[in-house]
Amino acid sequence: MIGFILFSLRRAWQGFWRNALMSFAATATMVLMLLLLAGFWIIQTGLLAGLQFTEQKVEVIAYFHSNASPVQVTSLQTRVEAMPEVESAAYVSRDEALDRFRASLKAQGREDLTRYLDSNPLYASLEVKLVDPRDIRTVNAALSDAPVIRNVLNVEDLVERVLTVTGILRTAGTVVLVVVAVIVLFIVVNTIRLAVLARAEEIEIMRLVGASDAFIRWPFVFEGAFVGLLGSLLTLAVLAAVADPLTTFMTDFFKVLPLQFGSLTRDLVLLVLGAGVGLGTIGSWLSVRTYLIR
Amino acid sequence: MTIAPAPPQARSLRERLSGQRTPRSDHDRAVLVMHDVTKEYPNGNLALRDVDLVVPEGDFVFLVGPSGAGKSTLMKLLIRDEVATRGEVILDGQDLARLGRRHVPKIRRKIGTIFQDFKLLPRKNVWENVAFALEVTGTPGRRIRPAVDRVLALVGLTAQAKQVPSQLSGGEQQRTAIARALVHDPRIIIADEPTGNLDPLISWEILQLLLRINELGVTVLMATHNAEVVTALRRRVVALEEGRIIRDEIGGAYHRED
Repeated sequence: MIGFILFSLRRAWQGFWRNALMSFAATATMVLMLLLLAGFWIIQTGLLAGLQFTEQKVEVIAYFHSNASPVQVTSLQTRVEAMPEVESAAYVSRDEALDRFRASLKAQGREDLTRYLDSNPLYASLEVKLVDPRDIRTVNAALSDAPVIRNVLNVEDLVERVLTVTGILRTAGTVVLVVVAVIVLFIVVNTIRLAVLARAEEIEIMRLVGASDAFIRWPFVFEGAFVGLLGSLLTLAVLAAVADPLTTFMTDFFKVLPLQFGSLTRDLVLLVLGAGVGLGTIGSWLSVRTYLIR
Repeated sequence: MTIAPAPPQARSLRERLSGQRTPRSDHDRAVLVMHDVTKEYPNGNLALRDVDLVVPEGDFVFLVGPSGAGKSTLMKLLIRDEVATRGEVILDGQDLARLGRRHVPKIRRKIGTIFQDFKLLPRKNVWENVAFALEVTGTPGRRIRPAVDRVLALVGLTAQAKQVPSQLSGGEQQRTAIARALVHDPRIIIADEPTGNLDPLISWEILQLLLRINELGVTVLMATHNAEVVTALRRRVVALEEGRIIRDEIGGAYHRED
């Protein structure tokens, strides 16, 4: 068994170098296809993170009557926080509301008009963040029914429109990624097929002298896996070379988004290695199969 | 129809070469039996019709007939590249139609195949080309070297062992292919037009080699268009025409003589 594996590995190595031109052509195709796949995957990840961030922005703001007592406020806050649909509920006092208003005016570079006011005209509010923005109606209703609530900011229509758009974008992103993955699969499998085809005579001789299917198949499968491994390592090298400028660009571009690039690197390495070695193996397996089934 | 008798003491090549005398109790059994074999290709082309053929061990058989008569199909059936539509093909006691896929490689090791176009690997030298047949069938390395050296000596290519096919003459390339066919110590050699690409002198050289191998006990089935050789040697001749055996005679000529 070990002898057989060593034999197959040695033959795979020989096969790779004996047809160096074909092997490098296959590896180059593999690198380009993996870059394409990785590129689309990065875009998809960014898109999903952006969509999730947008959805998290959805919150329900309920304003209290000015005569609401602190006990009533605390009791409502506790009750709302206990709802399964609610992630958090933050109380914003009238003073805080005024401070925020001033800050936002300042940020926009506009004159602070609040100094002309005799008293604070703003209401205290409860800012409720949702676990899932689709539950907005339930939370809305619960808040509207509370007697201490003056009114609830009605953003239902807006939220539903946002959800429709993010849903379409998610589906479209996934479809594009799947289409790219299928294209990559076909091109890589076909390239490996050409490399195997160039050795049809060798396979024929092996069959004629009575080599068993395993002895014919495994050297080619190992060779395909080797092409895949080499291709994915080269792809990762290219990605590592462009990673720094790309990250700077992405961070600038998505400045507002708290994107997590930590797990992206790990997932990307797994994706590229898995796709490369997997496609190389499947490609050569399928290609040799054509010759074995008779 | 006559059938050639088996030589009295047919033994394996290795036994002959090593000089050991181990008489076979079943020495007269047939290496190859074809019974009522019909081969119809999926496109409806009837390549062989009701073919009956018995080849005893140690026989030397010429298979003749015009192109398209079914010679190649017959050979493909023997190496189980194709399976008969009807009838039995029994090689060394095994019915090829009932053979599972897993057992096909094992039966092929009992057959040495030789082709008009040699089918050598251009990047391997003579020694490696012959050793290849053993390597890919899982023969342990220590058994490969003596086996290859032995058959190269038999075909007279010891001196050319390190040359690649492009450095060899046509005759030497075909002798390399014969060495490769012999290295498994086969029960039967199947040669498809082995002299088709060679000039007359070299053709005779190859024929002499095949005859010598036959004398060592290996059964030989050779398809050929070479009328001169067939007629001169007066061996068993099986003639095919339009998929049928129209003649099977011992000591025959290439063409019918009556």
